[in-house]
Amino acid sequence: MLTILKIIQYLVRALNSEGTPGQVAVGFTLGAALGLTPVVNLHSLVFIAVIAVFRVSVPGALLGWLLMTPVGFLLDPAFDAIGRALLLNAGELTPLWTTIYNTPILSLANLNNSVVLGSLIGWAGLTVPIYVVARIGVGQYRKHVYPKIATWKIFKAVKASKVYNVYRLFQP
Amino acid sequence: MARVKLFRWQSLIPLGILFVLLGVLLWLFLDVLVERSVERSGTYIVGARVDLASADVRLGDGVVVLRGLQVTNPDAPMTNLIEAREIVLNVRMAPLLEKKLHIDTLALRDMRFGTPRAESGALKNPPPGSGQIKRDIDRWARQIKIPSFSLEGLGQVVNVGAIRPESLQTLAQARAIVAASDSMVGMWDQQIRALDPRPQIDSTRAFIAELRAADPARLGVAGITTLGTNARARLTAVTHLRNQVAALDSSARGGVADVRSLVQGLADARDADIAFARGLLKLPSLEGPQLSPAIFGEAALSWVKPVLYWMRIAEEYVPPGLNPRRYAGPRRARRRGTTVLFPTGQSTPRFLLGFGEASLALGGTGAAAGSYAARITGLTSDPMLTRTPIALLASRTDAVRGPRDIRVAALLDHASRPIRDSLAADLRGISLPSVTLAPLGARLLLGTGMSNLSLARSGDQLDARWLWRSPDVRWERLTGATPGDAAAQRIGTKAWADDLLWRTIAGIDNVEIDLRLSGTVTRPSLAVRSNVGETIAQSLRREFGREVERAEQQVRAKVDSLVQSEVARARAMAETARAKAMNEIAPRVAEVQQVETQLDAEIRALVQRLPAGVRVPALSIPGLPRVGRPDTTVPDTTRKTPPDTTPPDTTATAVPDSTPRHRS
Repeated sequence: MLTILKIIQYLVRALNSEGTPGQVAVGFTLGAALGLTPVVNLHSLVFIAVIAVFRVSVPGALLGWLLMTPVGFLLDPAFDAIGRALLLNAGELTPLWTTIYNTPILSLANLNNSVVLGSLIGWAGLTVPIYVVARIGVGQYRKHVYPKIATWKIFKAVKASKVYNVYRLFQP
Repeated sequence: MARVKLFRWQSLIPLGILFVLLGVLLWLFLDVLVERSVERSGTYIVGARVDLASADVRLGDGVVVLRGLQVTNPDAPMTNLIEAREIVLNVRMAPLLEKKLHIDTLALRDMRFGTPRAESGALKNPPPGSGQIKRDIDRWARQIKIPSFSLEGLGQVVNVGAIRPESLQTLAQARAIVAASDSMVGMWDQQIRALDPRPQIDSTRAFIAELRAADPARLGVAGITTLGTNARARLTAVTHLRNQVAALDSSARGGVADVRSLVQGLADARDADIAFARGLLKLPSLEGPQLSPAIFGEAALSWVKPVLYWMRIAEEYVPPGLNPRRYAGPRRARRRGTTVLFPTGQSTPRFLLGFGEASLALGGTGAAAGSYAARITGLTSDPMLTRTPIALLASRTDAVRGPRDIRVAALLDHASRPIRDSLAADLRGISLPSVTLAPLGARLLLGTGMSNLSLARSGDQLDARWLWRSPDVRWERLTGATPGDAAAQRIGTKAWADDLLWRTIAGIDNVEIDLRLSGTVTRPSLAVRSNVGETIAQSLRREFGREVERAEQQVRAKVDSLVQSEVARARAMAETARAKAMNEIAPRVAEVQQVETQLDAEIRALVQRLPAGVRVPALSIPGLPRVGRPDTTVPDTTRKTPPDTTPPDTTATAVPDSTPRHRS
């Protein structure tokens, strides 16, 4: 139950954060990378570092992660196909994969796995659409939806909770 | 305008703390991760559970200690293939950054084989790809046809009712002959009716008579010209008819020849049916070479399957060449995908064991008691990178009693193509297993003896021989019957059969079983030979050779009775077809040919009777076909006789014959 409440908190705050719609959209896009790709991998640390170091919306990133995780599961067959095509059928890329596979640290990134590689490439291809949709969505939400839900008691309760203070640390 | 800040510097500390926490967690759970990793990868490779009690990773020393390893035997899930109390590995750290495992030395302590398991090691839901090799080998084993061996039924009325007509080749072939003959005869009738040569033959004969009676002087030039034109047209028509009839004749002869070969094949089909029916009735063979596979086939398969399995495992995980290799990705909630490895000539192997050593001490005073040692060098996943063969040597270093001649040597050369594997195992004075021989209703306790396995593989070809020999075997009866039972006196009963076999095998003390594998690695052929088979064959021949012969006669009679009427019908139909071809088609060809020859002769005679200097173009056209040489090829009936472009000689002027007269 607590988890569900926190999820609702993130959802509301992400959409209503004080960051600009652009910052939320970039955060959402970076969070989508965590959702679309298998998370227990080296690249996830890189994405987390980028989200933390750059002034993007952290709640936006969490929202992107949350929403895109089931999408990642659904798109796994497509990611697998993309990865297999790149790893096995694109002969001109073999030297690149060979270098990555034989380079210390980089070889730990599992880029030689079809789903990892395919999902990263898939996310890269979807970056612009995700960003555009997220930006428009946040703008529309703030203009039309937020004024209505701001008056809800539950919203006020969530906003007053302690988690909100932690969130403010990362607020852009 | 306020400057947009790009970085969030204050997050660096929490981020650093996060990464440090992750590192600490990794360090804390590294032992568990290694333990799970060994279990998962081992399970995937073996196709049965691999359990590890604990793992102790000392990163500073580069030492990993694995304790309580149990590898389930995939063929016997309640038994461990190998159990080791402790395994100590000295691991190089740098290759780990490339996800490579390089072990300088490995030491196995207290290794044991075939220990019982507390719970089954079979996999309920094996991962995709895991155990594939075992499944392949099981599939191969299932398609090996082990001859049946049963003495039950001998001496009784043979149940020939088990022979079903629909399963007999002879019947099918006879029906095919009937159908083909019937179809051919019908087709020929139609074609003969369509050709209907009789009216043309009769009219041509009448025309020949007219030609013979023709007087050129009385007919005049115009009459001769008309007669010549008619003669030429008639001859062309008769030649065309002759070609058509000859084509039908040729086709008929071909059909008759085909049917004749089918009729001749009926004898072979009958022999095959008798062999098939004999198999249905499970009549025993009385030949030693056929009895040995029937008796030891199942046991031989269970012995050679592990050999093939580990050879295939060696090929799978020690592959030759440097082409990208595919494996199933790691197990996770998301799809596993395919992990592709890209080794290069300059890189280091993904897995390398420089030197491994195992020791084993068996206590007690039995034949197997003593110390054993095994060494392995150069074990790698990329033999093309190490360029050295993998060598394994195991031997008994000390024996409490008995001979010490236990030696196993293996060499895997996968660094060059074709790959070459060799294995020589010579075990003497060891306890051989007991074998349950269901066809004999007995268990063979081989006792102390020798086992010698030599195997050579080159590329896809395999040649192996496995010899088991024991000079002092014992036999145990599986059934409770004892010699002299009343039931055992009734020939053909199971008790009688068991009793006979028991009396035969009970006197065999010295047993030799010789297995041979040859052919391709994936589908080798298996041959089994044993003195037990030969001894039983001699006994069977002595005891009831005549019984088997009598039963075979019954089988033969049953098969004949089932196929006789259909075979006779087939032969009759084939004869009908032959008679049709010979009596109705061939004479027509001869008759048309005769008429054609006569017509040609009469035309020639008419030309001879023409007055000097008179030339009738119709009778001297170069294209006038020659007769008397029957065209034996099938004529192209679509081709028409070229139209005569020569203008008719209506002037009937006598032209001085300055050129030699053309003779057709």
